[in-house]
Amino acid sequence: MNLTLHIWRQENAKAKGRFETYKVENISPDCSFLEMLDILNEKLTNDHIAHPVCFDNDCREGICGMCGLYINGRPHGNDDGVTTCQLHMRHFNDGDEIWIEPWRAKPFPVIRDLVVDRTAFDKIIQAGGYISATTGGVPDANSILIPKHKADQAMDAAECIGCGACVAACKNASAMLFVSAKVSHLALLPQGKPEAQDRVKKMVCKMDELGFGACTNTYACEAECPKQIKRQNIARLNREWICSALGRDRKEK
Amino acid sequence: MTLDSKIPEGPIAEKWTNYKAHQKLVNPANKRKLDIIVVGTGLAGGAAAASLGALGFHVDVFCIQDSPRRAHSIAAQGGINAAKNYQNDGDSIYRLFYDTIKGGDYRAREANVYRLAEVSGNIIDQCVAQGVPFARDYSGMLDNRSFGGAQVSRTFYARGQTGQQLLLGAYSALSREVARGTVTLHERHEMLDLVIIPDKEGKPRARGIIARNLVTGEIERYAAHAVVVASGGYGNLFYLSTNAMGSNVSAAWACHRKGAFFANPCYVQIHPTCIPVHGDYQSKLTLMSESLRNDGRIWVPKKKEDAEAIRRGEKKGKDIPEEERDYYLERRYPAFGNLVPRDVASRAAKERCDAGYGVGTGLAVFLDFSEAINRLGKDVVKQRYGNLFQMYQKIVDDDPYETPMMIYPAVHYTMGGLWVDYELQTTIPGLFAAGEANFSDHGANRLGASALMQGLSDGYFVLPYTLQNYLADQIYVGKITSDTPEFDKAEQDVRERINKLLEIGHKNENGTERLTVDHFHKALGHIMWEYCGMARSEESLKIAMEKVVELEAEFWQKVTVPGNNEEFNPELEKALRLADYFELARLVITDAQHRKESCGGHFRIESQTEDGETLRDDEHFMYVAAWEYKGHDVTEEMHKEDLHYEAIHIAKRNYK
Amino acid sequence: MNLNQFHSISKKITVALLGGFLLIFVLFHAGANLCILRNDDGAWYSAFCHFMGTNYIVKVFEVILMATIFFHICLTLWLAYTNYKARGTVRYHHASKTKTHTGSKLMAWTGGFLLVLLVMHFCDFYFVKLGWVEGKYMVKTEEINKIAQDENAMTMLQVAQYADVDEYLNNLEKTDTQKAAKLREYIPLVDVIKNMESKLSEDKKYMKNLSVEEKEALSVINGVDVEPDFYTMARGKFKTWWVSVLYLILFALLWFHLRHGFPSVFQTLGWNNYTYSKAIDVIGICYACLVFLMFAAVPIGVYFFL
Repeated sequence: MNLTLHIWRQENAKAKGRFETYKVENISPDCSFLEMLDILNEKLTNDHIAHPVCFDNDCREGICGMCGLYINGRPHGNDDGVTTCQLHMRHFNDGDEIWIEPWRAKPFPVIRDLVVDRTAFDKIIQAGGYISATTGGVPDANSILIPKHKADQAMDAAECIGCGACVAACKNASAMLFVSAKVSHLALLPQGKPEAQDRVKKMVCKMDELGFGACTNTYACEAECPKQIKRQNIARLNREWICSALGRDRKEK
Repeated sequence: MTLDSKIPEGPIAEKWTNYKAHQKLVNPANKRKLDIIVVGTGLAGGAAAASLGALGFHVDVFCIQDSPRRAHSIAAQGGINAAKNYQNDGDSIYRLFYDTIKGGDYRAREANVYRLAEVSGNIIDQCVAQGVPFARDYSGMLDNRSFGGAQVSRTFYARGQTGQQLLLGAYSALSREVARGTVTLHERHEMLDLVIIPDKEGKPRARGIIARNLVTGEIERYAAHAVVVASGGYGNLFYLSTNAMGSNVSAAWACHRKGAFFANPCYVQIHPTCIPVHGDYQSKLTLMSESLRNDGRIWVPKKKEDAEAIRRGEKKGKDIPEEERDYYLERRYPAFGNLVPRDVASRAAKERCDAGYGVGTGLAVFLDFSEAINRLGKDVVKQRYGNLFQMYQKIVDDDPYETPMMIYPAVHYTMGGLWVDYELQTTIPGLFAAGEANFSDHGANRLGASALMQGLSDGYFVLPYTLQNYLADQIYVGKITSDTPEFDKAEQDVRERINKLLEIGHKNENGTERLTVDHFHKALGHIMWEYCGMARSEESLKIAMEKVVELEAEFWQKVTVPGNNEEFNPELEKALRLADYFELARLVITDAQHRKESCGGHFRIESQTEDGETLRDDEHFMYVAAWEYKGHDVTEEMHKEDLHYEAIHIAKRNYK
Repeated sequence: MNLNQFHSISKKITVALLGGFLLIFVLFHAGANLCILRNDDGAWYSAFCHFMGTNYIVKVFEVILMATIFFHICLTLWLAYTNYKARGTVRYHHASKTKTHTGSKLMAWTGGFLLVLLVMHFCDFYFVKLGWVEGKYMVKTEEINKIAQDENAMTMLQVAQYADVDEYLNNLEKTDTQKAAKLREYIPLVDVIKNMESKLSEDKKYMKNLSVEEKEALSVINGVDVEPDFYTMARGKFKTWWVSVLYLILFALLWFHLRHGFPSVFQTLGWNNYTYSKAIDVIGICYACLVFLMFAAVPIGVYFFL
């Protein structure tokens, strides 16, 4: 199939970006979206047209969370429950025009072309997205019993790959789904309980501080999450936040 | 130079205990004065950095991705082994140790493997404490599944994303240390060279690295008392592999160039259950977890006509009646059936396809769940493998609940790597290697669910001890500065290498032939897969060497690297990595040529039994081949570390 | 409280609590409105309006309600502003194609139009009650009795009945200037009282549809309570087709606002989980529909049936 691509080009963080239009021909429907961009880059380099289009990618099997393109108005393109690297060209038609943009959010500045800086997510995790279990000196794994449905729900939340599609999809650039997935994962497990109140407080404060928006319950994040993390996690985050606010130890300050 | 593996005295079961009892330690107050560099944030690197930071050392940790959580450990699907014996099915530390040695075709170092089995249980405890949501049964206890090469169920798993969950566990521990200030994170930084500075006695020691900031292109210097390389394996040498696009050998190879020996490079694991190749634009092969072989049955048609009809698209897999199907693994290996180790399953698939029974493009076999669906019901199958089935469907556009899946082997893991002793220290003092980057625990073939175990064992439970043993007397050295002639030289070398690559590109700018880095990588991968892949012969290896040398020469003349160094430039990154792959490719071929036996992942056509199984030559090849770098164009020198088996009786590896 | 410590989720929770309060209020309001459709010439409706207009608890409640609406709007505007900023300076070129919760993306717009509804509604009714805007008025029969006890009024009535008012007053001025001046104030009242008989409704309970002038005329008698006649006003409004249509459009927008608002309250307060999610959403739809039907019944009922 032949396609017209409108791709956001931006030399570096400070440069002013613009859309450039390129054409690619004879793309196989079995080709993945990123492979299609590989083909384009090969052509751009060989024919000395432009610097190859930069885009983040790594595992190309939908688990590392590195890739992420805003394709025709949808993060990760027009297939549900996949990352950009798992999106195949069979979801497009011959002659289609495709607009490819980077994630747009104040906390995700563009590095080059379609590559954005997502270290804000790391900072949120560093604020409290962990259980303080120092190596060694932990109890036997089976001494902590966890009901299956709890473990399953924790796993549902833990599947988050931190790709940032939730932020990209949200009209408010809110990171609530990301934060709630981590908070839920740890709050559901008995191991995570002791730090739960402190964790939610720190993570949400960090999220606000980094400039992410607030949730307005549009659930665009849920619709675009490649791992189909559910909105109920955000409800749990709100619950945890209320518990944390009401149950905070006053002495702690 | 003789190789000293520093195996502690005593019976095998007491070696690690003895080591820990007698090793040197660092006083808590002194720990924060000691700097450690960790390259890589996968299971081994992430766990090591987190544990060392928790101990109080100051750690600088580097990853090429935008976050430590992206390391390719994340893609491991099936599970992690541990000798917990929760299932009461006869598992024990010894049995895990034995299975691993046997699975590795008796080419691994006994003491290391025993230690691995010994700490395997602690890993599970540690991960559960971190909040890794392992699968549980209805009583709330941990669940297990069985994996290739074992007759017990000892694999812990978190759906099909065990690697992800374990990595996120290590990542969260690492994040905690970053917040505490003991670990400094350098994301989007690539290590390009190792810096060695002799100490007062003139003994060379690893004292730092040169890294390129991938965003700005700045060449930066980092100094430390010790360096840990946990940068993963080199499966991308074959271009098409299950590795991530960014996985590379460059960090390990920089160490190798500076004097660290590289051991057993020819041991490459080919994973039997991957989605087959479907086009020349393909950039990556996707792995389907080995756990699929628990319930899936592998077969090809018994009749060639049927196979041909399927290839032409006239018949479908489900059209072939039961009695016309050849379940070749169950036929050849009745005891282990579909759960034979990976190398065995891969070769068997290749054998069938080479004989003309392949389906799909001719390079694929069926993995069939119809029997499991009948036996367990679709819901149970969906619960166990749903996400894998979905992944398959997304890629191939075919419903695996209805028609059997097609699979073919693909490069997956590299058992070879930097040579390390019992302390995981390479031949350069102060340089440690962990995880897939070292060679130590898997011999010639790795069993499923053992990579996660090894990475975490190295990171959580081995390096925090052995590094202290090394660092104990380093407190007298004081702070290491990067303002030395050795750093100047290393930085200069790196700049020259980068400029050389860029110059070729600029020189070719107006030339007629402009070839991209990917073009060369694909060509190299093709050569390696064709002539140095699943089956190797004297002749094929000779061809491989000739072709690689030829391609390498062409690379240094015709490669095009657009842009310059002072910018975000993925093409330059790829070119630098590929340049190292060329040197490695020659070493892999050299190693494969010298090892005139078949063992594990290394299959020499000249050395096989009558029914096509691997034939080891213990008399001549029961050693680790550790190669020493002698220069870009010079053949490397081999050093042998003989393997001694005291706790294990060596036998033919038999899964029949 | 330092505003910097007012975190996004806390703001959200406050908006949800205020919104939740409004959800309950809207339902009561809609229920009360339905009285107008009762075939009693507005007896219930007027009684209800009287209660709302005079009860002190209601007056306190009114203040709370106004504050609720005010803060609900202020906080959402604040959130909308920070949310807009969070997207950064460069925005997406391609419009979003993501499927979102019904009404959710339009909350600011539906909210804005609802503010228009509110202002319009206030001008039509609420401000009349506060006396800021002119309206129609009514007086109860028991209030009329107070007129009978007013000497001056009765005097004027008698005079008007049997003599020329001007002449009588001019004569009186010569003897009792004060009394004459007092009675002069009652001149407009004469016409009002003359009309009383014809304007008393069938059950003799209300005298409706006074004009402003008539209201002011009555107000010279101390103790006579003249109330706005919402029944007549509402009938008048909704008999005008375009007013009814405008209200219906705004009620439809209210449907979108409530349809997202209802489940959102539960979500934001953390009362949502896998088990109840669907139920909450369905109840939300039912609630929004119910409120819509109750509100819409008034303009439709008045236009076609009253």
